[in-house]
Amino acid sequence: MPTAVTHFKTNIYECLEALPKPTLDQLYREPATCLAIFRLLPPLARQLVMSLLFTQPISPINLTQSDLRLWVKNEAAALAKFDEALDKLSKLSIMTTDSTGYIQMNSSFRERFQDCLTGGGDHQSFGVPCERPAKDKPDITFLDRHAMKQWEEILHFMVGTESTRQPSAAVLKVVTRAKLMKEGKDKQLMITNKGFQFLLQDVNTQVWAFLIQYLDIADELLHMNVVEVLNFFFMLGSLELGMDYSVEALTPTQKQLLDDLANFGLAYRRKKGSSRYYPTRLATTLTSGNSAVVSSAVSSSTSTTTGEDGATEQGFIIVETNYKLYAYTESKLQISVLRLFCELQTRFANMVYALITRDSVRKALKHGITANQIISYLTSHAHPQMKKQVPLLPPTVVDQIRLWEMERNRLVATECHLYKEFRNQGDYEMVLKHATNLGYVIWSNARKRMFSVTEEGHEHVRNYIKKKIAQRKTNGGGVGEAGSGIGTPNNGSPSVR
Amino acid sequence: MPPTSKRRFRDDDEYLPSGPSRSNKKSRKFSSKKSNSATPNIINSEDENDLTLTKEALIPKSAVIDIDSISSTLNVNIPRDSVSKYFGEDDFSYIKLKKDHANRPLWINPNTGHIILEGFSPFAEKAQDFLITISEPVSRPSHIHEYKLTPYSLYAAVSVGLETEAIIDVLRILSKIEIPDSIMELIRTCTLSYGKVKLVLKHNRYFVESSYADILQKLLQDKDIAEARVVNSEGSDNEGFLKDRAPTSKDLIISGKKVQEKETDTDGKSSEPITEDDNLFNAVVQIDKEDEEEEEDEVHSFEIKSEKFEVVKKRCIELDYPMLEEYDFRNDSTLPQLDIDLKPITVIRPYQEKCLSKMFGNGRARSGIIVLPCGAGKTLVGITAACTIKKSCLVLCTSAVSVMQWKQQFLTWSNIKESQIAVFTSDMKEKFSGQSGIVISTYSMVANTRTRSYDAGKMMEFITGREWGFILLDEVHVVPANMFRKVVTTIAAHTKLGLTATLVREDDKIGDLNFLIGPKLYEANWMDLASKGHIANVQCAEVWCPMTPEFYAQYLKATSRKRMLLYAMNPNKFQACQYLIRFHEERGDKIIVFSDNVYALEKYARQLKVPFIHGKTKPPERMYILNLFQHDPKVNTIFLSKVGDTSIDLPEATCLIQISSHYGSRRQEAQRLGRILRAKRRNDEGFNAFFYSLVSTDTQEMYYSTKRQQFLIDQGYAFKVITKLEGMDTATDLVYRTPSEQMSLLTEVLLANDNDADLDNDIESNADDLPGVVTSRNFTSQQKGYGGVKRSVGSMKSLSGADDMAYMELSSSSSSPRTMKKVDKKTQAKDHHPLFKKQWLKGR
Repeated sequence: MPTAVTHFKTNIYECLEALPKPTLDQLYREPATCLAIFRLLPPLARQLVMSLLFTQPISPINLTQSDLRLWVKNEAAALAKFDEALDKLSKLSIMTTDSTGYIQMNSSFRERFQDCLTGGGDHQSFGVPCERPAKDKPDITFLDRHAMKQWEEILHFMVGTESTRQPSAAVLKVVTRAKLMKEGKDKQLMITNKGFQFLLQDVNTQVWAFLIQYLDIADELLHMNVVEVLNFFFMLGSLELGMDYSVEALTPTQKQLLDDLANFGLAYRRKKGSSRYYPTRLATTLTSGNSAVVSSAVSSSTSTTTGEDGATEQGFIIVETNYKLYAYTESKLQISVLRLFCELQTRFANMVYALITRDSVRKALKHGITANQIISYLTSHAHPQMKKQVPLLPPTVVDQIRLWEMERNRLVATECHLYKEFRNQGDYEMVLKHATNLGYVIWSNARKRMFSVTEEGHEHVRNYIKKKIAQRKTNGGGVGEAGSGIGTPNNGSPSVR
Repeated sequence: MPPTSKRRFRDDDEYLPSGPSRSNKKSRKFSSKKSNSATPNIINSEDENDLTLTKEALIPKSAVIDIDSISSTLNVNIPRDSVSKYFGEDDFSYIKLKKDHANRPLWINPNTGHIILEGFSPFAEKAQDFLITISEPVSRPSHIHEYKLTPYSLYAAVSVGLETEAIIDVLRILSKIEIPDSIMELIRTCTLSYGKVKLVLKHNRYFVESSYADILQKLLQDKDIAEARVVNSEGSDNEGFLKDRAPTSKDLIISGKKVQEKETDTDGKSSEPITEDDNLFNAVVQIDKEDEEEEEDEVHSFEIKSEKFEVVKKRCIELDYPMLEEYDFRNDSTLPQLDIDLKPITVIRPYQEKCLSKMFGNGRARSGIIVLPCGAGKTLVGITAACTIKKSCLVLCTSAVSVMQWKQQFLTWSNIKESQIAVFTSDMKEKFSGQSGIVISTYSMVANTRTRSYDAGKMMEFITGREWGFILLDEVHVVPANMFRKVVTTIAAHTKLGLTATLVREDDKIGDLNFLIGPKLYEANWMDLASKGHIANVQCAEVWCPMTPEFYAQYLKATSRKRMLLYAMNPNKFQACQYLIRFHEERGDKIIVFSDNVYALEKYARQLKVPFIHGKTKPPERMYILNLFQHDPKVNTIFLSKVGDTSIDLPEATCLIQISSHYGSRRQEAQRLGRILRAKRRNDEGFNAFFYSLVSTDTQEMYYSTKRQQFLIDQGYAFKVITKLEGMDTATDLVYRTPSEQMSLLTEVLLANDNDADLDNDIESNADDLPGVVTSRNFTSQQKGYGGVKRSVGSMKSLSGADDMAYMELSSSSSSPRTMKKVDKKTQAKDHHPLFKKQWLKGR
């Protein structure tokens, strides 16, 4: 899902961009972080950084933005890309334009990144491997299995697979704060459309989205230092899969973090007090940007045990024109996802047969999952056989799912004000006519002498009535108040579209 | 693949009908339970007796086995995981996949007998051929097909020559999973006694034939059968049986069949190494060919007295060995030969040939039913069969018009002389000249038991007084079982062939057809035929027409009968109809508009100035209108009431609009679609026929509409929902545009007699007649309002259902058929045949 990946990357950017400059400066003190952020940059930005990284300190040349623009082809598209790259760099305060208009590279970033590339410096940014060899070192398969198990547990919890055990407090906080789930009527946490969207993304994207949410909490609730947390994330991304690293070298905050991350499946520790930890594939691929490879690697290596089928990644769902859905999957998670909008019927060892019904789709819609999300889920997971046909999904099914959604939106509530208890028909008609002319009337009933006007028309109509009353009083007609019952706002007057 | 004798023995021991075996007790148990529970299902008191009788007399016990009962005896000790509970009983993930499951195309559901087939598997085509023989097709869209094993379907499989072990072996090869025990048991139980005994008419003598001598011995222990036996020493073996070679179709030529092409076995050529499995699979799937080739099997037989054959037949069913009827027409010297053959230019299509090869598989004629979509050439199949048998032939159809059409078809395709075809209707009572010939008549003419005119009586004597080689039953699904029994018992025919487009399956009332006529021999795949250009491609659409506020307000207040009128007369629907007619006329389409509601029909037609036909239209006028439609370029649209549902052959029509229909009848929907499947222009490039169903939103119609479409959707058709017709807003001079026009229409509708809302007043009232029973009183009116028999409410509703929701109507029709009362869920479930209960409950 390329769209999801880009969407998600911008998310890290957004997260980093939102940080104040001092925090960023602090961040750039860690070479690992510098490398990770460098990797996340668009290619042109990386090019710029590399060009200027080593040149400047030796022979300080001052370059302005227009000087740099000469480096790129004089084409609108290329220039736009260049500007975008530079803008990104300046937002991350890697390269900024100083008051004289010269481009300056963040000195801390420059130094650390140089260290990182040249291997200089005396830092423990890339983790400290344990010196003593571990007695029974877990192999990569084991780590993959652990990672998948922990991560899927969170996802299972989200889709509401019963009998999954309650996840840790951190997970609960993240899912509720990120509005991936919310409390339903019976105080049970239910998946939201944001949560469903989350499920549609690949694992790497999910992990990042989750970590960013976690960062928020870490800042506010756990009073952790954002810099330390981020540094730790980026460090994890630079570690080597299958190696063991020493806990000793970590800061107290990071030690605390490690517990939670181990819980999410990003790291593995034999037991709580263990002096070493092993990063899992979920962690080591955080900044590689090569998510597709990751997930398939994870799934294929664990297919025999966790039941995550390789086919799952390629697309496994067949939807027929008769609203029957056949999913080639053994994954309990996928089955639970399907259950969100299908009626499950029969399950075989490698295939699940379900029906898309009005009831099942409405159930999903009630949770806030949208028709488009269901359709995009079905599209992105379509079986290779489905991909042979155009359009991919049966149009009737797609239409019907949309229709079921529209069906729920037939009542439209409009805020309005009700006017009632007019003394006589004449008054009623006079006011109504005025309001109608101005186009404010939503509904009227002559027999009951009642009508309602839009929110914006309320003021006009009220003033009009007041004016009329005032006029009569001055005229001394003694007719009394025309519209005594200036309506109370009443939004319970929905009009059927 | 004949089973080894050892295996057979074991089977016999285990499944002996009279033995104390487990399985048999079960089948007994269920048959008795069934007949108890069936009683409340039956609506009419007279019918009740009839049907109960029918069941006991005609349906073998194994046919009512409940597969659920078999599977529930499985010891449930199944590993389950966290998502298992979502599937209830239907989590079969514990059944291990075979190692090479990816190459095998199907799964079998142990609880319900459903088979799920991957349509894209390289084996799919062969698997389909096989599955269509042993199971009922449930749905056949583009990728994944579903079939269901039922006792009936297995009976059909056996009757075309498949054997128990062969069925199991092939299933085993095709299945991704090991065949569940419950399915094995179902297959064994259902096929055990079926098809083992045949009643053969040979040299005009009746023989009971079987390849298993021991079964014959067993039958002879029955007193009645022993009495009926003709003891003949000549040519008999030590047990007293006659021995013979099994029949082959070696020299049989099905007329019209193209010169036998060299068997191009694709598998033989394919580069893939052929495993043993494949070979076995090919061997069994091509069972027909095998029939022709090896057939060194011996068969044993004994002769029975011809006057006793009915008794023997009945006893055999009671003994759980229902006899298959086969007619060795080539050796029948007593019935005079009929000189009939297809004209040399007539060529039959591959699927028609397939039907016929099932029928004449072993060189004899089997009785049975062939299911082909409307417009796929059922008539030609029937005629070819008649040309193959070459004996006197009786054709029964549903209406006088189709009688004439059949006659015409016979003259077109075959070389028969006109003097040899006789027509027997209320208007014409002809006899053919010479020793043999063809009589074409209607069901109601033949089944009529009340007083007849002198002519008709004479004619009936002519029909009942002779032996027929072949009886052809057109549109078999419309005729209720008791009527069939009348036909079958009064007419002596050696072979019976039923033809239909929509055999409604598993319906209690016509399930008996399987045993009255014979098993289903073939059922074609609609989508397949459409893709090959044999029937037209159709775009189906459901057009949503919102009710105008005034109409909807009245709709909410109205009685249910008036409601029908209101939603049929919805001005928006009117406009949509007018708009679509105009749109398609401009494209050059010929349009049929269907309305069940006669009031609406007339109103629409008069308003739009278009000719219409309904039940009260006189035959000459009908012919005139149909003629206009076919030949006058100015008349591009006609309105038809349900008299036009079946048997009206209008190949010009390319577009169909439905404005009012009969509740949730899936059969009607399919039949109506059939009117445009034979479109003349179907082979034009990019040609599409159009089928629109106009429904008023937020009314009952929406609910019925969904139900009606189910059959077609299962055949792979897709109904596109159109919520808004593009350009309808801007179209000029549509009717009922202004509120005042709409109000006057509303007033008119409200003033209309309640009877006008009635869907059934199209055909003259026959309220005092039993549903489905033809009496002389409405018998004349049927000649006019053709097809009256099938239009009676009771039978219509019961026929419209198959295995899911439509069944609701079965029980509700006991009350007033028009009110469509909602019956409380529990009763429905209880009333339901246990075999389908599960499926039905799921469908909800």
